Amino acid sequence: MTDLTAPKSATVSRAGAGRARNYATDLAARGEPMVWAMGGSLAIGLLMIVGILGLIAWMGFTTFWPQPVAVVTAKDGKVIAGEVFRDETYKPSDDQLKAMTPEQQAVVEGAQGYAERTLYRVGNYDLYGEDFQWRNVLDIASTEYPADFFYLERLEWGVFIGRVTSMTLAGAETAAPSIDALNEAISAGHDRRAEISRLKTDEIGHNSEKIEELRLDVKSATLSYGANDERTRKIQAEAAEKTRILEEESAKLNVHLAELQAEDAKYFATLTDVGGQTKQQPLSSIVRLYKPNDMSFFEKLGTYFGRWGEFIFAEPREANTEGGVWPAIVGTLAMTVLLSLLVAPFGVMTALYLREYAKQGRLVSFVRICVNNLAGVPSIVYGVFGLGFFCYVLGGTIDQLFFPEKLPSPTFGTGGVLWAALTLALLTVPVVIVATEEALAAVPRSMREGSLACGASKWQTIRWIVLPRAMPGIMTGLILAMARGAGEVAPLMLVGVVKLAPELPIDFSFPFVHLDRSFMHLGFHIYDVGFQSRNAEAGRPMVYVTTLLLIAIILLMNAAAINIRSRLKRRFAGSQF
Amino acid sequence: MTDATQPSSESARRSVVYSRPKSTSKRVLFMDRFADRAITYGGLFVIIAVFAIMAFLIWVCLPLLSSGDLKDRSAYTLPHHGGQTYAAAQTDEQLTIALDLAPSGTIEAFHAPTGKALPSPSFDLGGKTATAIGKTLQGGDIIFGFDDGTVRVGTLTIKQMIVTEAVLPAGGEKLDERDILADGAVFSRVPGQYRRTTIETALEGPAQVAPVGTPILKVDYRVSGTAERPLKTFVSLDAAGTIRLSQAASIVNMMTGETSSDVTSSEIPTDVQAGDVVALLLNADGTRVIIGLKDGALLRFNTRDFKNPQQVERVGTLPAGVTLTSLAYLNGDNSLIVGGSDGSTAVWFGVDRKSKDTADGIVLTKVHGAFEAMPAAVTDIRVSQRTRMFLTADSSGEVWVRHATTERTLLKLPQTPDASGLSAVIFAPRDDAVLGVGRNGQVALWRIDIPHPETTLQSLFGKVWYEGYSEPDYVWQSTASQDSFEPKLSLVPLIFGTFKAALYAMLLAVPIALFAAIYTSEFLHWKVRAVVKPVMELMATLPSVVIGFIAALVLSPIVENWIAAIVIAFAVIPLTLIGAAFLWQILPGRIALLLDGVPKLIFFFVAVILGVWGAVAIGPSVEAAFFNGDFRQWTSGEGSGQPFLFLLLLPLSALAVFLGWRVIDGIVGYRPWMRQQGDIGAGTVEFVRWAVLIGITLVVAWGFAGVLTSAGLDARGGIIGPYVQRNTLIAAFAISFALIPIIYTIAEDAMNTVPEHLRAGSLACGASKWQTARWIIVPTAGSGIFSAMMIGLGRAVGETMIVVMATGNTPVTDFNLFNGLRALSANINVELPEAVKDSTLYRTLFLCGLVLFALTFIINTIAEMVRQRFRKRAAQL
Repeated sequence: MTDLTAPKSATVSRAGAGRARNYATDLAARGEPMVWAMGGSLAIGLLMIVGILGLIAWMGFTTFWPQPVAVVTAKDGKVIAGEVFRDETYKPSDDQLKAMTPEQQAVVEGAQGYAERTLYRVGNYDLYGEDFQWRNVLDIASTEYPADFFYLERLEWGVFIGRVTSMTLAGAETAAPSIDALNEAISAGHDRRAEISRLKTDEIGHNSEKIEELRLDVKSATLSYGANDERTRKIQAEAAEKTRILEEESAKLNVHLAELQAEDAKYFATLTDVGGQTKQQPLSSIVRLYKPNDMSFFEKLGTYFGRWGEFIFAEPREANTEGGVWPAIVGTLAMTVLLSLLVAPFGVMTALYLREYAKQGRLVSFVRICVNNLAGVPSIVYGVFGLGFFCYVLGGTIDQLFFPEKLPSPTFGTGGVLWAALTLALLTVPVVIVATEEALAAVPRSMREGSLACGASKWQTIRWIVLPRAMPGIMTGLILAMARGAGEVAPLMLVGVVKLAPELPIDFSFPFVHLDRSFMHLGFHIYDVGFQSRNAEAGRPMVYVTTLLLIAIILLMNAAAINIRSRLKRRFAGSQF
Repeated sequence: MTDATQPSSESARRSVVYSRPKSTSKRVLFMDRFADRAITYGGLFVIIAVFAIMAFLIWVCLPLLSSGDLKDRSAYTLPHHGGQTYAAAQTDEQLTIALDLAPSGTIEAFHAPTGKALPSPSFDLGGKTATAIGKTLQGGDIIFGFDDGTVRVGTLTIKQMIVTEAVLPAGGEKLDERDILADGAVFSRVPGQYRRTTIETALEGPAQVAPVGTPILKVDYRVSGTAERPLKTFVSLDAAGTIRLSQAASIVNMMTGETSSDVTSSEIPTDVQAGDVVALLLNADGTRVIIGLKDGALLRFNTRDFKNPQQVERVGTLPAGVTLTSLAYLNGDNSLIVGGSDGSTAVWFGVDRKSKDTADGIVLTKVHGAFEAMPAAVTDIRVSQRTRMFLTADSSGEVWVRHATTERTLLKLPQTPDASGLSAVIFAPRDDAVLGVGRNGQVALWRIDIPHPETTLQSLFGKVWYEGYSEPDYVWQSTASQDSFEPKLSLVPLIFGTFKAALYAMLLAVPIALFAAIYTSEFLHWKVRAVVKPVMELMATLPSVVIGFIAALVLSPIVENWIAAIVIAFAVIPLTLIGAAFLWQILPGRIALLLDGVPKLIFFFVAVILGVWGAVAIGPSVEAAFFNGDFRQWTSGEGSGQPFLFLLLLPLSALAVFLGWRVIDGIVGYRPWMRQQGDIGAGTVEFVRWAVLIGITLVVAWGFAGVLTSAGLDARGGIIGPYVQRNTLIAAFAISFALIPIIYTIAEDAMNTVPEHLRAGSLACGASKWQTARWIIVPTAGSGIFSAMMIGLGRAVGETMIVVMATGNTPVTDFNLFNGLRALSANINVELPEAVKDSTLYRTLFLCGLVLFALTFIINTIAEMVRQRFRKRAAQL
């Protein structure tokens, strides 16, 4: 017995203990390292998106907040005044190291070759030839924030940072004017500027437009009747007479304009920078000024929102690095709306054809694969196609048929908002097709059959039964297509986007929507200001704000898509069976 | 009656009632039919339109491969061509006037399209006949050499100016639809105006070059410098066999107003016989003289020092028995075209081989020799003024149009005017016509259309030996400042760049996206997933211009400053995560279970952030210790390559060590032993084991890196090299931003569609979540995951704005992670806005588009087919 029990109990106890422990502690089975690798990857992905959005939001929202102006005295006695733009840890190059004092070199050495520096926006580009200056933190002897410093935004040359020593109003000089007096004078200056610009664009510009129209009339008559025809001669004579009158009028206006400008020049402020250099600044060319070191929170808030207002509703200045983005907003929206008008009917039609009309077979599934693939074809390829086909082939033909008098300068034969919208419509139509098809497929067959059995025609079934139920999916696809279209830049650069459009694609002159005009676009604005401007650094705040705006528009569209989808789903939830 | 009518009216009424529903309302029918048509045609239209994109792209690209057409040929006989030998022909850009110059100085001008004789001034050579004539290619500068050893320089230009209609003299003779001959000038109608074309000549007085009485036999002439101060250089051969290099300056006689030339000469030291010299060639700035001898030998002289010309090279160009019959410079005066008596043609140019055989290390090399041979000896070679095309004429009167770089014979011009050879043949200035004048006075004007002579499949996709390069290479360089520049349009660097960016980006994006997808699908609570997934998808909606801007303006300066930290972060972050995992295992099981879920997710974040912080913290010290104190300088070749090899070898040696451990584990029975330890004990033991193995891995990797380094291997020059600020690393990082959400979403969807019963079955059998994911979910969703990767690759290949902004757009072919690149998409974006419609560049960029289209289409089709199969399989499970 003992012989039998002893080994038995041993087995039992060993097996029992083994089982219990196996269950709890085979760590290899839990795969914890891999789980952490996977979870870490997810964390990296989430950090990336949160990081980039956070960066844009932070930079975008803080850009317009008035920053204090620091007067920084370096150890060698050089003084600069500017707002702190950004701090950076950097690795000084050998030349920079050599320029430092031995103590500073030792500090840098101690930090393993890294040092801290601050970028100041010193402005006064007209005086210094640069907008920004780096200061090594080790090099700064003292920093002060004098209350009498002004921060001036100007129409030209960017900002000015310094003191306003006097203000001259039509010969009457006031020393050290108060900020209220200055603001009043500036607002009067703005009125003068508005009058001058109205005269320039609305009256003189309008006249030259009319003269150009007359010239085109003559040319068009020459083209249709021939140069020596009676009718052409008549039109020519009339045009010459009208042109003469318009030119006389313009000459008078020009004289008036010169008077106004001479008057305007009598109102100016005398500015002094931190080093004592002076400059006379016409009051009408000052956009805004404030004392950054002597402002209450609410004054700052006022300036902040004032700048946002300017950003959204004003025209760009200074090669797009300052001012507003109104034309770009209008351009982006006009293009996107046009795109959705084009893409919606065609996308839905194609999906209806593929799902409801075409005989389901190999061919249709092949077409479906191709359509799916087209969603993955790079946008630039569509841009190439748009340029070659829409602009040159279609546009060129339209020009020859309808606008021969304007040739050789192209009307439709070059990039324009219509061609951009068409190109992006081609690019996004697969998105709409795929979304619509999926939505159509989700409508139960029984509903179609019920409708047909009640005697409804095929179209009636589609119109009243299928489409309403598929609407959420269609809308989602459409909005996603619009969001993609609004964010695309590469193809637009080939088919109609420009750095600075003189006229909006939608305005108050007949026919209100100008499909042939090139336009500005928020996405291209980012590229242009960030990469093509004279001073990428100066444009950077603008780029952040524009990016914020663009992302906000796109995210809003996406949110709208999700919202519409869920709301429509709810609406039809009860009616499904 | 009423009774009888009653039912009939009733039945009538009933029939009305019944007949109504039978006829469907016309409107409904119409709408139905209309919708039917509209949807069918609309749908088909969109489908066709979408396919038309490819057709259109092909249609634009096709002309690139055509060689050229002969559009028209007109022939006429010159009336006064009485047996004279003509020496130099010339025509203007619009082919209005053509002229032919006789050695006597007589100019015979004729209307190029019709051959009608036109009045023309002539050179007054004082009754003498020139024994040699030299002319510059573009301008109308001309030089005459005489048998008394003198030369005279002059100009012969066809001058054009735009005039108004009012200037046109009345009563002109109509030459053809376009041209009117009036007042000794030709007036051509251009829209709204007239173009007046005349011939103008000027001649300076004679200057003695050779000894008096020694005839000048050959002369070549170049004018360089500015228009105000032209530098006139010529090289001449006299009957005594002396070759002189001369510079001429014009002197205006104040008294008479005549211009004469002041010539200074220096003799070129050579002992050739005058009869042996076939050709003398001078280059544009007068720094090189080539003498071609009858036996095919070329003598090259360096004349940079005008006073002291030196022979630097002598090279034989033709096989024995073949004599040199013609020699000319290609446009740009660098490449030589050698024509032999056997009809052969070859292009030679100097290649810098640092050779010791020649004084300057440059060796004349036969670069393009595969030209089709002409039927008889090549008698004349004429080059285009704007491209690298040239004409060869042989003694049987054949004229062929060739292209030097592609070695193609583009056109063989038919119906030669004179079967016994031509006295002159030229390219029209715009390459749109060839004019051939026969010895018999017959003239042929061939109108040709060769829009894209420089592109062949070989030049677009193969290696081409361009002038100035030391070997055949793939080059993309579409524009340059010089006139004689040859566009180099190889797509290979662009395709290479495309894949370089895509592959590095995939290397970064695929592990992150797939790991994150597996975790989201298999480990996250569905409530958390409902938040996490949309956030990741948010990343997909970021416009690429935004990502590109952040990458180029924010990321690249940071990366530049912290490059060492970033390089080691690739090792530090995974190590931190896995180290944290082993620490986590030490936690008692109950606490670990309690913290599972959101708290654990937070710990992941903490671990990643710790890893980043760690990399940044130790970055400078690592840089100082291993990378010579400055990583960027280290990449350009300072210090030892071992540390980077070590980093590269880490994953490999980790694999080796951990696989090796498995073997040891099997032998010593570590795992069964570990199972018997308690929670904390096992965790601790595992942590120690891991730490030891990592230590071994580091040592192995370092040792192996040392071995490889001493064997001469270095990653520099391979996948890394000199650092530039906007580089592939930045681009790859930025593109991975765009790829991660795409791959993540599709892969996560694929894992989600794995039927729930498989998952449940596996868990019910006692498998852990990890085991289920590893052995059930991932294999089942494998094809879906693969298609996610393919779709990601498609996106990476086509990404445009990010690549434009984040890379330097340099078309190079190296794998250097720290160098720039130029992708097909970026190339289109950068160059197409500037390209002239229908030019070669324009069409080549369309070809780039087509290649991109084809690449992505293939990649996406594979992905789509795999995905469809996966869907079918998932549905069957």
